[in-house]
Amino acid sequence: MIYDIRHVTTYSYESPVSFARCSLRLEPRSGDGQQLVSHSVEIRPRPAERTIRRDFFGTHTESVLIETAHRSLRIDSRSRVQVTRQALGRTAPSPSWESVRDVAFEASSLGPASPVGYVFASSLVPVLGPVTAYAAASFPQGQGILTGAVDLMHRIRHQFKYDPKATVISTPLREVFEKRHGVCQDFAHVMIAGLRGLGLPAAYVSGYLRTYPPAGKPRLQGADATHAWVSVWCGSEIGWIGFDPTNDLLVENDHIILAMGRDFSDVSPVDGIIVGSRKQKLAVAVDVVPVE
Amino acid sequence: MAGQAGSQDNKARPGQRRMAQWTRDYARLPGIPDEYIGQDGAPRPAWARFFDAFAALSPADIERRFASADRHLREAGVTYRAPGETADRLWPLSHLPLIIDETDWRQLTTGIAQRAQLLEMILRDLYGEGRLVADGAVPAAAIAGSNEYLRAVCGVKPPGGRYLHLYAADVGRGPDGRWWVLSDRTQAPSGAGYALENRLVLSRAFSNLYKSMNVERVAPFFEAFRDSLRASADRDEPRIGLLTPGAFNETYFEHATIARYLGFLLVEGDDLAVSGDRIHIRTVAGLKRLDVLLRRVDSNFLDPLELDASSHLGVPGLIDVLRKSGVVVANMPGSGVLEARALLGFLPNLCRRLLSEDLLMPHIATWWCGQKSAREEVLSRLDDFAIEGAYGRAVPGFPGSGPVLAGELSPTERERLRSAISDRGIDFVGQELVRLSTTPTWENGRITPRPFVLRVFAAATPNGWTILPGGFCRIADEPDARAVSMGDGARSADVWVVSDKAIPASTLLPAADTVRIRRIAGVVPSRAADNLFWLGRYLERAEATLRLIRALGTPTRESGKGAPTGASTALHSVERIQRLLVTWGATSQASRANSAKVAAEALQSAEKFGSALSLLRSAQRTATSLRERLSPDAWQVITEMVERLSVEADDDDGIVSAAELSLQELASFAGLAQENMNRAAGWRFLEMGRRAERAINTARFARQFAYDEAGDEDLDVLLTLVDCQITYRSRYLVGPALAPVRDLAVLDPYNPRSVAFQVAALNEHIASLPSLKEHGLIERPQRLAVALQAMLTTAEAAALDVKALFVLEQDLLNLADAIGLHYFPHGPNASRPEKLTGLA
Repeated sequence: MIYDIRHVTTYSYESPVSFARCSLRLEPRSGDGQQLVSHSVEIRPRPAERTIRRDFFGTHTESVLIETAHRSLRIDSRSRVQVTRQALGRTAPSPSWESVRDVAFEASSLGPASPVGYVFASSLVPVLGPVTAYAAASFPQGQGILTGAVDLMHRIRHQFKYDPKATVISTPLREVFEKRHGVCQDFAHVMIAGLRGLGLPAAYVSGYLRTYPPAGKPRLQGADATHAWVSVWCGSEIGWIGFDPTNDLLVENDHIILAMGRDFSDVSPVDGIIVGSRKQKLAVAVDVVPVE
Repeated sequence: MAGQAGSQDNKARPGQRRMAQWTRDYARLPGIPDEYIGQDGAPRPAWARFFDAFAALSPADIERRFASADRHLREAGVTYRAPGETADRLWPLSHLPLIIDETDWRQLTTGIAQRAQLLEMILRDLYGEGRLVADGAVPAAAIAGSNEYLRAVCGVKPPGGRYLHLYAADVGRGPDGRWWVLSDRTQAPSGAGYALENRLVLSRAFSNLYKSMNVERVAPFFEAFRDSLRASADRDEPRIGLLTPGAFNETYFEHATIARYLGFLLVEGDDLAVSGDRIHIRTVAGLKRLDVLLRRVDSNFLDPLELDASSHLGVPGLIDVLRKSGVVVANMPGSGVLEARALLGFLPNLCRRLLSEDLLMPHIATWWCGQKSAREEVLSRLDDFAIEGAYGRAVPGFPGSGPVLAGELSPTERERLRSAISDRGIDFVGQELVRLSTTPTWENGRITPRPFVLRVFAAATPNGWTILPGGFCRIADEPDARAVSMGDGARSADVWVVSDKAIPASTLLPAADTVRIRRIAGVVPSRAADNLFWLGRYLERAEATLRLIRALGTPTRESGKGAPTGASTALHSVERIQRLLVTWGATSQASRANSAKVAAEALQSAEKFGSALSLLRSAQRTATSLRERLSPDAWQVITEMVERLSVEADDDDGIVSAAELSLQELASFAGLAQENMNRAAGWRFLEMGRRAERAINTARFARQFAYDEAGDEDLDVLLTLVDCQITYRSRYLVGPALAPVRDLAVLDPYNPRSVAFQVAALNEHIASLPSLKEHGLIERPQRLAVALQAMLTTAEAAALDVKALFVLEQDLLNLADAIGLHYFPHGPNASRPEKLTGLA
């Protein structure tokens, strides 16, 4: 499947902003069953400086410096990605979760794909006793890692309420867990926290999800959104597998990966510092259009 | 007894008796080595030498010297803050030094230097090639678990060529008599500044004793450290900043001490900006390049753009500057990863591998439970270990920030600990329980053994590691010295490394460890200038308030003409003073009926923001952020004033005399600033603050008391307020008359308290400050000041009616604002960087 993705981020400020320094992680990665065909980002006002590097996690990261005074900042990202992913079945056999944990602890690499980087708490995902206990219910002794993770994902999908108004980006995990509501980012963080509490390697993935318009209706422009899910390391043979707790889905051809990290703060698509305005408004419009 | 001995013995004997008594009473803890008394039961020679000399002092003399040491500490304002507290605490100094024999010390330093080098090599590999992890010499989990493992700097070569510039180790003497490492400090070691203060204080209090003991000097270490930091920069005269989290930090005093001592600029994150590929400091003369940053801010807070996004302590873009090698940061961000206890057990092997030698210093035996064999060992005899966090101080899942002793837990908690270790062993280490050696402390005229921890400092120099001879010693009141932090019940002690031989003359500095004089780098950060300006304004406003209080309490000179000549509804002078105090927020409207209450409130009310006490507290708070720029004397004056006014005065006389004393102290502060303050260190801004505020207040006084219908009483009050009674009388020989008094208070350019004098001074200062603009036009502060001066030069007293005085006051306020806007655009009121909102 080939997708054309347009991701437009617009900030509007109450008073002129004289200076902005941003990091953009907007280029979909190649690998993990997808291939980047083309990508471009247009920024208004024009930046004084644009530098590109790969960050620790291998994500294409663009540092942008804007020194012209502006009242709005528009970042228009276009990508074409080919996705050819083959998901495992929900009931495929997998090694026991305890063995996965023990192998992860003994990893001998600190690289971005090494499971050991994803078993500890990270800045937005603390390891909390109650969350670990919640996750443990899906992992009886000797349970296959895949079966356990599917069960945990299923429980989150059905026991947590999707509510875009309930949380903001800074809502702590503890609160999300106690109130059992949030958005994709929150569900991903809860699932990650539970898995890590058990010593299982879990990563945060940002990306896009193809949505299907209601039967007989045209696809609405800009109606899609950025999305987030979880990648779980299922032992050296199976490797990293995507779990979408918001939709109770194993990640297949409807998901397009942007970046992978320990939590949202490692992969935030647009991040930055501005000087000049306290009040800001953010609007994000995403279109994921299948080309064939 | 007296008759039995000669005069020589008579002198020696009381000392010997005291010494014998102390030694006899000195109850060593069973099974624990002691610094003073060796394993053989005999005093160690260095200590014996010390106590011989010490015991020769009479008990009264000893107490006097202890008191003098304490006074020095209080006066120098040596403070620290316990975690979670908001008030500064006085530094508790143990009055006896820890004495270490030179031979013993050499062994320790060799071990520390080796360890520092080893840690540097490990960091190079971890953030560079990564061979140690790939080969299994270091388990990946033991690194990945530390939140100081900074992925953002992986592969970044440290500018300046090294990770560690300053390293410290906490050490203690183990039961085998050897020095053991308890923990490593690789992030931003604290304590060296306190060690310096302790040395200054103790060597002064016992100067002869100190000289006779051949104590190694600490100054050369600090100079070597400074010179090495300078050498790490890529230009000749580098600008070095000490990055502090700010005045609320528990060790802020130390940051200021080190900055002042080494001649570094004390900076906060807001003072710095990234421009081009470099870090710059915002100064009153624009952005100035900063070459080296000695940081006391933890890595994760250094850059909100790439690290902890919520941090306000860092500089957005700093990590990117590191990538471009635009600044040397000491220690390199990410160095703290080696503080993880999980690594301890791997060091002996790493030492053989990286340095081809055996690790010289032992550390407390440590089992990292991330490895199966170690985990099983710990679980099999859980009660024999202290369980600690593998990466941080806290034990995950257990309250508190210290070790957990399984033997002291309830059966359920103990079981919880056991299963936590089985499930996520990577989070825990087991450490052998060790009792460390004790050292003598002074308690109620006797010496008592107490356990201690010694922090030893090592600085990287081009010629290898150099070790601070001495260090920062913390003495516990609990038997387990590892719990020592500067919380309750802990004291610090100076550490004397003593030699049998005299210390070579080349390192002998005049009196004790004299501070080597250095000029503070010739730039004034905007924030410091802003604080100095406000310090000047607060002090001057406090002075004006005190003068009003004094005028309230002092009966005015009886004059024949008595009541005001104007309308009978005109206010009495006293009422005018009270009204002014109400307007200034020094007292409340409600108190005005009671004159005594007005004075008391205006002097000492903690609730009224305009009371003398509140203003002086504001001055003190501002001065706290300027510690490295103020002399200890100046700081002491402010502290004393605040302390005096915090104690409630008994009666009216007490109020007047407290006001008098405070006025005298303000005068002495002004004198100190005038005589002692370096002109390059922002003195002008302190002066400008004072001048601006005095001009405003004097104009206000003139409007209140030299109004168009003012009577003798009013004019008399004005003369008192502006301190011109004597000048006036010697000049005019008649009672106060309106025009001459106005002239003296407002226009007379020779009267150092007149408005015209202040404006002339402001003009001089402004003309001497760097100009920020290049277009050659006159800048706003100067435009306003020149215009004011012209007006005051040409004005006539008779025409200075209330309306004109009011306009003058407004112009002066505008001038003060213009100075602030022009020179401190980045001050506390400037717009700060904001985070872009993220997606939810």
